[in-house]
Amino acid sequence: MHIAINPGDDLPIYRQIMRQIMDAIAGGRLTGGERLPSHRELSEQLVIAPLTVKKSYDELEALGYIESQRGRGTFVSARLPKVSRAVRSSQLLDAARALLSQAYLGGLRYADVLKVLADANHDLTAEPARTRRKEG
Amino acid sequence: MPTTPVLEFRDIARSFRRGEPVLSDVSFSLAREEVVALLGRNGSGKTTLIQIAMGMLFPHAGTVRVFGMSPIHEPVAVKKRIGYVAEQQILPSRSTIPDLMAFHRYLFPTWDVELERSLLARFGLSGNSSRMRQLSKGEARQVALICAVAHRPELLILDEPAGGLDPAARREFLETSIQLLNREGTAILFSSHHMGDVERLGGRVVLLDEGRVRVDDDLDALRESYCIAIIPRYAAHAITMIEQLPECLKVHQQYTDWHAVFRGTPQRVQALLHDAFGLNNVQCATVPLEELFIELVGEDRRAEAS
Repeated sequence: MHIAINPGDDLPIYRQIMRQIMDAIAGGRLTGGERLPSHRELSEQLVIAPLTVKKSYDELEALGYIESQRGRGTFVSARLPKVSRAVRSSQLLDAARALLSQAYLGGLRYADVLKVLADANHDLTAEPARTRRKEG
Repeated sequence: MPTTPVLEFRDIARSFRRGEPVLSDVSFSLAREEVVALLGRNGSGKTTLIQIAMGMLFPHAGTVRVFGMSPIHEPVAVKKRIGYVAEQQILPSRSTIPDLMAFHRYLFPTWDVELERSLLARFGLSGNSSRMRQLSKGEARQVALICAVAHRPELLILDEPAGGLDPAARREFLETSIQLLNREGTAILFSSHHMGDVERLGGRVVLLDEGRVRVDDDLDALRESYCIAIIPRYAAHAITMIEQLPECLKVHQQYTDWHAVFRGTPQRVQALLHDAFGLNNVQCATVPLEELFIELVGEDRRAEAS
């Protein structure tokens, strides 16, 4: 998978990496059991400190999205963390309120927001995921 | 020896003219594999501090230890294990690149010829036998970097490594430093004005302001647990008290409002200002490193406004 970072971004670099890996898992571009680059590989590829990569992997591991196996590397978790449906919907509701408020302040309508959601869905689940889904 | 820091400054003071201290009460240390970015305005004492670590200047008060040794009393033992690139590196102008490499190979028993060759190749300097005075500024700094790292130092000290380099050369410099971090676990102390480079090298940030340590914290903490609160004009009466809060690092007037830099997340600071002063909905936000730097060490805008 392709990770790109931007040092001047609102998010610190370790969070940018976390977000991109979580997006890729959510969109099916990374699937359970897939191997992630090592700390050293990603550090040299992105030209960032190895400890920054370690920090983002550690946080993702604590959240249950990835798991490191001693001597073998780091992999996407085969079973993703189970968050209760109620918790998940309440988190989503907060995010949805924020999204709608931002949209309405910007003069968009509900229909426009739905189109934005469709575009975002397309970005998340771009090409590779489609083929994989057919297999599954 | 996990207990001995690689580099330790304790209560360092130094001045060049009586009564005008360049550094006062500077204390911090670096552990193995740690990266510390030394930030501050021009003239804030960064280079002086680095020269004290290198044993090139002695402190007027306090102690400096490198690998537990004094860099002034044991210069050879210390320098064997340090790599150093000065802000204005002076390389012997008549020496050629191969001369300089041969000299360093002779000087350092741990010199790694393979690393030397691979860095010369990466910088496009293989087979180049120019004299130092014929090199461009970028090439000279690349040569200085090779001289600083090819003996595989345990501590690398870089004084504005990016100074005067174009973006491509700066990136090569960073790539080399990151490879050292990955392969050797080298500790790095570097001063820089490029916040992008600071974010890439990560680690800790020590911010010097008028010769004192104003901030010493993790880079990610600076990004996530420091914020700027914009105190509106009508709350000006509370400014002196806000300034005295232990979480408040600096307050200054920005046109008609006041900006206060806090250690704490925006939510916490908002709650604090509400609980202590009854201020509602004060705008608090985390800011990029560059903004935080300017807020912390920038001039007070009052003078300009009046």
